[in-house]
Amino acid sequence: MEPLSWIEIITRVLLQFTPVWLSLVILFVLSITYKRKLGLYGKLFDSTIGMIGFALVMFWVFTGIFGSFGMIVTHDALAQVSGMKNELPGAPLPNPDEGQYPYYLFGGDNLARDVFSRMVKGAWIVVQIAPLATLFAFMVGITLGLPAGYYGGRLDTFLSFLANLILAFPVILLFYLLVTPEIVETGIPSYMATVLFVFPLVFVGVLLNSRYKTQPNIRAPLLIGVLGIMGWLYLSLISEIGSKVAVLPGFLDLFDIPSGILVVFVSVVFVNSPTVFRIVRGLAMDIKTRDYVAAAQTRGEGPWYIMLWEILPNARGPLIVDFCLRIGYTTILLGTLGFFGLGLSPESPDWGTTINDGRRLLQIYLHPAIVPALSLLSMVLGLNLLADGLREESLRD
Amino acid sequence: MKDSYDGPILEIDTLSISFFTRLREIPAVMDFSVSVMPGEAVGLVGESGCGKSTVALGVMQDLGKNGRIVGGSIKFKGRNLNEMSQEELRKIRGSEIAMIYQEPMASLNPAMKIGRQLMEVPMIHRGSSEKEAYERALQVVTDVKLPDPKRILDAYPHQLSGGQQQRIVIAMALMAEPSLLILDEPTTALDVTVEAAVVELVKELGKKYGTSMLFISHNLGLVLETCDRLCVMYSGEAVERGSIKDVFDEMQHPYTQALFRSIPLPGADKNARPLRAIPGNFPLPHERPPGCNFSPRCDYFEAGRCDAQDIKMQAVPGNDRHATRCLKFQEIDWNAPIEAGDQTQKGEPGRVVLKIDNLKKYYEVAANALFGGAGETKVVKANETLSFEARESETLAIVGESGCGKSTFAKVLMGLETATEGQILLDNRNIEATPIEARDTQTIADVQMVFQNPFDTLNPSMSVGRQIIRALEVFGIGKNEGERRKRMLELLDLVKLPRAFADRMPRQLSGGQKQRVGIARAFAGNARIVVADEPVSALDVSVQAAVTDLLMEIQREQKTTLLFISHDLSIVRYLSDRVMVMYLGHVVELGSTDQVFSPPYHPYTEALLSAVPIADTSVEKKHIVLEGDIPSAMNPPSGCPFQTRCRWKSEVPGGLCEKEVPPVRQLGDGHQIKCHLPDEKLTEMEPVIQIAAE
Repeated sequence: MEPLSWIEIITRVLLQFTPVWLSLVILFVLSITYKRKLGLYGKLFDSTIGMIGFALVMFWVFTGIFGSFGMIVTHDALAQVSGMKNELPGAPLPNPDEGQYPYYLFGGDNLARDVFSRMVKGAWIVVQIAPLATLFAFMVGITLGLPAGYYGGRLDTFLSFLANLILAFPVILLFYLLVTPEIVETGIPSYMATVLFVFPLVFVGVLLNSRYKTQPNIRAPLLIGVLGIMGWLYLSLISEIGSKVAVLPGFLDLFDIPSGILVVFVSVVFVNSPTVFRIVRGLAMDIKTRDYVAAAQTRGEGPWYIMLWEILPNARGPLIVDFCLRIGYTTILLGTLGFFGLGLSPESPDWGTTINDGRRLLQIYLHPAIVPALSLLSMVLGLNLLADGLREESLRD
Repeated sequence: MKDSYDGPILEIDTLSISFFTRLREIPAVMDFSVSVMPGEAVGLVGESGCGKSTVALGVMQDLGKNGRIVGGSIKFKGRNLNEMSQEELRKIRGSEIAMIYQEPMASLNPAMKIGRQLMEVPMIHRGSSEKEAYERALQVVTDVKLPDPKRILDAYPHQLSGGQQQRIVIAMALMAEPSLLILDEPTTALDVTVEAAVVELVKELGKKYGTSMLFISHNLGLVLETCDRLCVMYSGEAVERGSIKDVFDEMQHPYTQALFRSIPLPGADKNARPLRAIPGNFPLPHERPPGCNFSPRCDYFEAGRCDAQDIKMQAVPGNDRHATRCLKFQEIDWNAPIEAGDQTQKGEPGRVVLKIDNLKKYYEVAANALFGGAGETKVVKANETLSFEARESETLAIVGESGCGKSTFAKVLMGLETATEGQILLDNRNIEATPIEARDTQTIADVQMVFQNPFDTLNPSMSVGRQIIRALEVFGIGKNEGERRKRMLELLDLVKLPRAFADRMPRQLSGGQKQRVGIARAFAGNARIVVADEPVSALDVSVQAAVTDLLMEIQREQKTTLLFISHDLSIVRYLSDRVMVMYLGHVVELGSTDQVFSPPYHPYTEALLSAVPIADTSVEKKHIVLEGDIPSAMNPPSGCPFQTRCRWKSEVPGGLCEKEVPPVRQLGDGHQIKCHLPDEKLTEMEPVIQIAAE
């Protein structure tokens, strides 16, 4: 068979993404139709930049999701096909089996794996980890930043010092330390996970407690229910048989996170939360001077109610924008980690690892590195544009 | 730069300005005409959102990217500003037309010395040398009566007080001797006594330089004091235009009339002659009614006529350049007596609920913030020996300018701070040392507060109903959600808001409506003592009356003790039973409203009374302008706190004022003042405000 021409490659790739296009069209049509009822999300559709950003982000989100169900991908991301090593984009398989996709659309890498399928699979890793890690970083940052800003004084000095300490530490060095087998052996990453992942629990617990303090008959069952489920999830998350933290017996452990991923998660949260802390602290210091905070104080509300229900909701604008930007940073961070081969397994299809693999033959074969690099670029660009659009729209009116 | 042009300095003809949003075009100013003759001061009066600032920005051709002039012309000395290039406009701005804004600090560059900022003006517009510019700056700063001009020129903006900053802004505007000065609420951010001094200065300089002025304000009293002519605006249109005397005494538009009836003039009384609020709300720009914009709120509305066609300005025969936008102005009997509002019985003050005895609140401030702790500390005396009683269903007004300690007192009473010394007795229980966390629910619910800024008093991300229900939850009222919701709806009824508002978000409410929600929230736990911290000062005049009356009505029903903190003496005279005047933490005068508002006064009370602008041409006021600014509480003057600005100081023998804090003197019937003036001097005092015989 002849290799595909560029036009054929593009047509086939576009065709391969059909489910993504369909979902994007449905999402945009629905959103634009009801944009007046959708608050800030709806307003996004008044800004061209915001819409482009959102489309880019959602393209990768849908790609990741469909990819994880085995759609879109043309080959197994880990399977090697002999004779396809470093083949150029559009190269046909030498002797395709029945039902096997007959081409490597974006060529093959140095281990004769399909670059296109690896790109799609790589999207899923980013889409899974980046928002979740950012969310955890926000939980930590908010839970510590609110009291620092609200109380001020010694607590603020102490927490800010701690944040500065972490920010001053070289990030890459920190990552290297965390994944070193000797360090893993001591259990430090597991203990860090134990501490960092407890924050969402604290956050939700305090949130509900302060809100329902005045109604004990609702508060008790609600807290027991919610914290019970979250506690179980938390214990399943941190506990792993054989590691230093094995608190749950195996039959109660809901899921296991590969220790590599856990380390990546911990490092990303650890590095991001001081910055979030500083933003939240600044916002809290500003908002605590408002009259509605004084009104809450004069009716005898507790400090945590004021922080979580009077201050936090009114700081949401800048926080949402920062959340989008921060997912972008996290994506880059994940790429960096993969590039250095930290945390994720060497054959993992994530973009950072693939770029590193492709790097070695960059002078001769460009495609194995350029495809994941462009993917990373477009996703982060999309997130930045989305944040810009959100900021612009939330400032208007 | 004086030229020989002698026509009107500014001539605005049928001007229309619109703002374009992504939804629709919003007309901000429609069919607006006004002319300013040389040396004339024209006032532009109206409530917020009526388009008065838009007119000013239109004159400056600075409408932002979504504002556009859609019709009419703005002629400056006969040249149409609309047709000028950016280059030409830049030449005119700052040199021939200067503008003074509301916030002095926002108009000055904080990173540049005052002298530099002033010198820029002649250097840019006239190419003056640095030396000439400095001479000119020195002269102008002397003209605006700032002490020690050389030092001021070498200072940064933050080193000056608000009043001084505004004087510098005025000086900057005058640097190039403009032909037209636009003042956009120049004194709103200042204290009353400082405001009086700045207004005096503007008037004087206007005469000296022969500058024409366009004075934008919401305060009718201020316009009366400064302007020759005025133009009343309502919802984007000029509704009445004429000389001050014509408009004030022979008003020809129902809106002007309603506006005058809703402001507390001397003689208004909350029981015998209550204020008449203008019914309804200000229409949003895209919801204006057909025909006359004021028609839905007008007493003289006639269906089929007032709403049939667009109404043009019509000249009022017999008066000079007096025009009105009302079809029926010749039919309405303008002199008809005001329909007496509901007269109410004066509530009798009951037993003593709150007793303050010798209360002191000192703050310790580290002298050196960076290495604090070890160094010496300074003590700020925010409240000094406060003693008074407040009775059931009594309104006690606490009057004073910023920094006088009234807000600190409110904080101590609420329990947000604890007292340094003395006691606060609520029903004979001491609460001065109990912080709010340690107070029981009943005490907290009993003492509540209404805040000043309506745009800040409600949590923007919680619905109105939710916020009131939360207060009910905290105060332990109602057994379940259903009961609380019912009570919340009753509270909305109490403050006369539609029940549908329960599900609205605060941003969907107007300022007055938000303030009503704030009041409902304060009364959620059946409060017995309500501290109202300037509850109406941020509201428009027509809304002020309604909110004030609401407070009074609730007070009558619930026998609440109202502590009304304010700097606006007109409203204090209207609604309070007793008045307490504070200055730098001291109570300088305390007595019933009549006692405080008639001689003998404390010298500070006298100056305050004189400083408040009154929108009534028949009132004659003594002019007392206080020199200088309020001293800092960090560094109070020795002896009497008021001695640095007091005009009676020379009457006290032996320099006693500078040595000793005056004792509290009883003048009978509970009237007390803190002053060294001998009795005969006190009895010599003349009333500040006199209503001329009709």
